[in-house]
Amino acid sequence: MVLVFLLRLKTIALRWLPGGRQELRLSRLGSIKGGFYRMKPRHSIARAALLAGLVLLVGMPATLPAAEIRIKSDTLVRGMERNIGGAEDKAVAPGYEYLQVDGGQLTEKGFSFHSYGWGRFDFADNNYFDERSDGELLYGYLQYADAAEGLDFRLGRQNVFAGVGNDAIDGLQVKGEMGQGVSVNVFGGQPVGYASTEGRSGDSIYGGRLGFQRSQFGEIGISGKILENNDLKVEKTLGLDLALFLPGDLSLYGFSSRNLETKGWGEHSYELRIPVKAFNFRPYFGQYEYEHFFGTGVNTVNPFRVLAINGEKLRVVGLDTTWKFSDALDLGVKLKGNDYDRMNSSRFASGLATWHGDDLTQIGVEVGYMNGDLDRQKYLLTRLFGYLDGLSGFGLGFISGDVVWARYDQPIYGRDNSLFLSIGTGRAFLDDALEVKVSGDYSRDPYFDSDVRGLLSLTYRYDHKI
Amino acid sequence: MLKKITWFSLLMLLALVLAACVAHRADWMPPLQHPADAGLGKRPPICTDCHEASNENFNWKRFNHDTYFGENHRQQAYQNSRVCGMCHQQSFCNDCHATSVELKPSIKNQTATYRRSPHRGDWLARHRIEGALDPTSCIRCHRNPKTAATCVPCHG
Repeated sequence: MVLVFLLRLKTIALRWLPGGRQELRLSRLGSIKGGFYRMKPRHSIARAALLAGLVLLVGMPATLPAAEIRIKSDTLVRGMERNIGGAEDKAVAPGYEYLQVDGGQLTEKGFSFHSYGWGRFDFADNNYFDERSDGELLYGYLQYADAAEGLDFRLGRQNVFAGVGNDAIDGLQVKGEMGQGVSVNVFGGQPVGYASTEGRSGDSIYGGRLGFQRSQFGEIGISGKILENNDLKVEKTLGLDLALFLPGDLSLYGFSSRNLETKGWGEHSYELRIPVKAFNFRPYFGQYEYEHFFGTGVNTVNPFRVLAINGEKLRVVGLDTTWKFSDALDLGVKLKGNDYDRMNSSRFASGLATWHGDDLTQIGVEVGYMNGDLDRQKYLLTRLFGYLDGLSGFGLGFISGDVVWARYDQPIYGRDNSLFLSIGTGRAFLDDALEVKVSGDYSRDPYFDSDVRGLLSLTYRYDHKI
Repeated sequence: MLKKITWFSLLMLLALVLAACVAHRADWMPPLQHPADAGLGKRPPICTDCHEASNENFNWKRFNHDTYFGENHRQQAYQNSRVCGMCHQQSFCNDCHATSVELKPSIKNQTATYRRSPHRGDWLARHRIEGALDPTSCIRCHRNPKTAATCVPCHG
């Protein structure tokens, strides 16, 4: 699995080296096909990004306080049976490794490196997976951060959360606080989600967010994002986000996005937060026009492509209520209504009660009912869950359990209910550096007559100051 | 090609301008990491147990991890991902928000029953109903070819 992960790292590295992409594709396909050399813009981005990194390295202060390295490894092995074709079920036993490495000045201003990815290897090799091994580098970037000054540079594969920018990119992101409550976030590079998909190439993404904040009054942000494919603009989005802290401890939050390609508002989502003693009320409203919300040109993927052309409008109205009944007991109620221009409307209501003990100990029960206008849009959902923490006196760290039972008004594949059960336990060793967890679950639902699965999970943490 | 280089040159120029500007900034900034000696404990934090709900520096109230915070934290992340980063590393977010993962969060963290992980239990059956009634919640995570790979076997 580590090998798979390293191979993925190599794949990413090849993409970032001049000429490496063509080399990689040629080695995979074994022949030259038209369109390879459209990747040149991508190389220019890589070169520009590397150059930008060098400029950052030269331009930043050279102070190097104590560095730190942190490693977290999650190793998971699952076991189950699947019908892969033929009369008999066959064993499926994939092993996963999630590896996270962070190094450098992690808590003080300075440079640091962050990476995280996963690899999978199927020990049973019964052709359940398309490939016996697989994996992905989820992020890997060099960072310069100065928290006191509100400055943050990131170069490499990373996630962007900035208004309409909600993407993973291979590129550069710069965040800065300009003073007087003004913040700026700009990013550019290649969108990871579109890379190497069915021979597609030449994608780029850039955008940013400008925020105006007054800590006691709120924040307004304007954001934009453009995705291009070989210089053709395929997605152009403008966003407005809002947080207003009102008198009486009320807060108003909102987000609107406008699709500049289809020239319409895709989304308006607004909510109030109303605290009243031990209660918190969250009434909210949302309006979505499918043409503008899902319509992102050639970028729209199924099943959303169909929705983008059906002209539907959805209005969502809801209320979440939480009640802190006591230090140990939380109660919650969710109410939500969906209303459409074309489809039938639906309403959902649920209630939740959670009792808390020490640490993570809790026991909860939740019941909800979806009431659509059609029978096939109705179901009852119940859940009982528990987690008992601090069981070292019994030689265990914790015991967990979960039961989910649902009933569908109209049967799905001939079955009108489903049952899911899971139970697990675990404990820590080596001063909490190693945690071992074992769990098993059982499903009986429209897709599985009777499905039993097992999971072994090992989490190892290493932290060392250099 | 020239256009891309121009964009990155502009981005770098803006970065340098930002670096120059922040030198004159006087606002309060959250630290890179929440102080370790604060004794946060294992439970999801209620920030206002220690911080003022709102003061001249920051509005902490909106980051209280109450019962439904896991389902309603989008706006906080869009506007203040820096605050999220004080306690959560990116890998934590990637359990749900990632370009390509095989294990859904409720399986990867199966014993963490205290987290309201999406897609728990009979989701495969139930998403036929919920996905049709409110598909806008699906696309937030399954919007591009890689993240929609789990949809392709049935939806094409």
